[in-house]
Amino acid sequence: METLTTDVLIIGSGAAGLSAAVYAAQSNKDVLILDKGVIGRSGSSTGAVQIAGLGEWSDPGDHKQSYLNDINVSGRGLSDPQLTTRLAEDIEPRLKQLIDWGLKLDKDEHKQVAISHTSGHSVPRSLSAKKGKTGLGITHTLRKKATNSPHIQTWSDVITVDLIKASERVIGAVVFDLTTNKTYFIQSKAVVLTTGGIGQLFPITSNPVQATSDGFSLGLSVGARLIDMEQIQFYPVSIIAPQAIAGFCISFYHYAKLFNNKEQRFMEIYQPDTLEDSTRDKLSIAIASEIAKGNGTPNQAVWIDARDAIEQVKREFPHEYKVCNDRGVNLAIDRAEIGPAAHFMMGGIQINQEAATSVPGLYVAGETAGGLHGGNRLGNNALSECIVFGAIAGMNAVKEAERATILSVDPSLWKASSEYISHLFSATNGRVRPFQLKDEIQAIMGQHASVIRTTEGLETAEKQLKRVEHNLASIKITNTNVYSRELLDAIEVRHMLRTAKAIIKASLQRQESRGAHYIEDFPQQSETIQHTFINNKGGKLIARSQPVKGGPT
Amino acid sequence: MKKINVNITRTDNTVSTYQVDYHQGMTVLNILEQIYRHHDETIAYRYSCRTGLCTTCMMMINGKPDLSCQKTAELGKDGNLSLAPLPKGTTIQDLVKEQ
Repeated sequence: METLTTDVLIIGSGAAGLSAAVYAAQSNKDVLILDKGVIGRSGSSTGAVQIAGLGEWSDPGDHKQSYLNDINVSGRGLSDPQLTTRLAEDIEPRLKQLIDWGLKLDKDEHKQVAISHTSGHSVPRSLSAKKGKTGLGITHTLRKKATNSPHIQTWSDVITVDLIKASERVIGAVVFDLTTNKTYFIQSKAVVLTTGGIGQLFPITSNPVQATSDGFSLGLSVGARLIDMEQIQFYPVSIIAPQAIAGFCISFYHYAKLFNNKEQRFMEIYQPDTLEDSTRDKLSIAIASEIAKGNGTPNQAVWIDARDAIEQVKREFPHEYKVCNDRGVNLAIDRAEIGPAAHFMMGGIQINQEAATSVPGLYVAGETAGGLHGGNRLGNNALSECIVFGAIAGMNAVKEAERATILSVDPSLWKASSEYISHLFSATNGRVRPFQLKDEIQAIMGQHASVIRTTEGLETAEKQLKRVEHNLASIKITNTNVYSRELLDAIEVRHMLRTAKAIIKASLQRQESRGAHYIEDFPQQSETIQHTFINNKGGKLIARSQPVKGGPT
Repeated sequence: MKKINVNITRTDNTVSTYQVDYHQGMTVLNILEQIYRHHDETIAYRYSCRTGLCTTCMMMINGKPDLSCQKTAELGKDGNLSLAPLPKGTTIQDLVKEQ
């Protein structure tokens, strides 16, 4: 296996990975950033509609403390105060820097930066670029900055198979280049994981096809600790039908009305004060409960009616209006069928305020990191997290690289990875195609680990995932050309299985309903607030609970 | 069930033809997913966001560049849905360009 070396290796190139690269490259260290899709264009960041932030344009009543309060309240006691404080402190300088690098925020009719209200924020602080294509605007700005840097090397179409550890440190990664079918060991002084989320573990998701949970699996494999993995945000108002846009997020639900199949505006019962302008966890539980009661459409959805606010929708969310219209749903005339879709992993690899994990040499940022959003991520805080913690991870990875040296490494360290890749190339006589294994995982997670969970269902999921693991040994791959979707699917399904098991374990561990984790056997919140942790001990996942810092409140 | 005829220009410039089940409203990307799953596991194509933002799924559709995730599957003048890689740049495999 060919070995390459770099000072800082960044895996994943959404807003967090690109931020890490750009800030790391402000030193004169070598930075290599990988993506299994196209650099800067294959992450969830691309689809992010707005970003929450502070700046000279902010509402007079808005400041660091009010932003911090909103995040902490939304987190249902599970947000790590060190992380929330860092976000509130750093968001303004990071946004200012992006604007200096060319990001243009959308303006209102008075030519001032437009700020809009988003559910859960006490004051309007949501910003937009490219008219509701903010993630695209931010990744374009960062991508341009990265490709112009002499210290950053970018590499598209390469998937990470394993992280490699020596003497308790992460020292690099084994990667597979889909365009040449060659495997490499990339040795680095520090690794930053920014691989995004888990949406593809579920049958309906807002996430891109690349969101197969690779980072959580890679972290687990080298002993990193996962925190609160049961906390998965389901975006409450996502298109269910037509299938071509299933999972597409509707952002304007706070202007619209939701109806069940009995023509009841059911939010009048669940949240009479806020109605549809509620937080995502409460809205998802309300919608899923209506569908479970049989009050949904034949497609297992409820209706959104935006006709009374259609001019505002067209003006503020033109892309969403157009995508629906192009698929035959004209929101000026029609209602649309919506329901919850897997959207965001709020748990993840535990980091501290320096984006460092419990494993030396390993930094994590963006959705792959856990602990910031707790039990409910506020709308528009995903990009904020990416640009703040991506920068922190990049700067600290460089500091680590300045201290570390590249040592000679025993090739036996990547023997298992090498054998695994060889196995994929000889799996022609297997029984199950990789996409079928993905389908099996999605069906299991969709049935048992969605918005409404039960202990019995989670235990069933655990057993069913064991069967998938068994089937993984009988994988069938007949296409070993370059850019083989089968090889990609096969490597991804291994990551998906590991992460799915961690989610189920964490969900069984939390014997209460808190934030996005709603379990029918324990419908109330406990008095003691605890985190769930998942560790990998010799290949076995171990779950435990621990009270949050500061003790019970 | 209604079927449509899909012609895809491959890496070696040959054309593969598939008869694919068609439901109203299917996008070109939905058709490609059907081909990968049920007709030909070697077909190579690229996509990500499925919502018309990332543009990585751009290809020639009935002779015109378009996003496969947004474009409704329709027959061209010759009665087939014809797919080919974008003409510019290096082709990695089938419909996948270096980006």
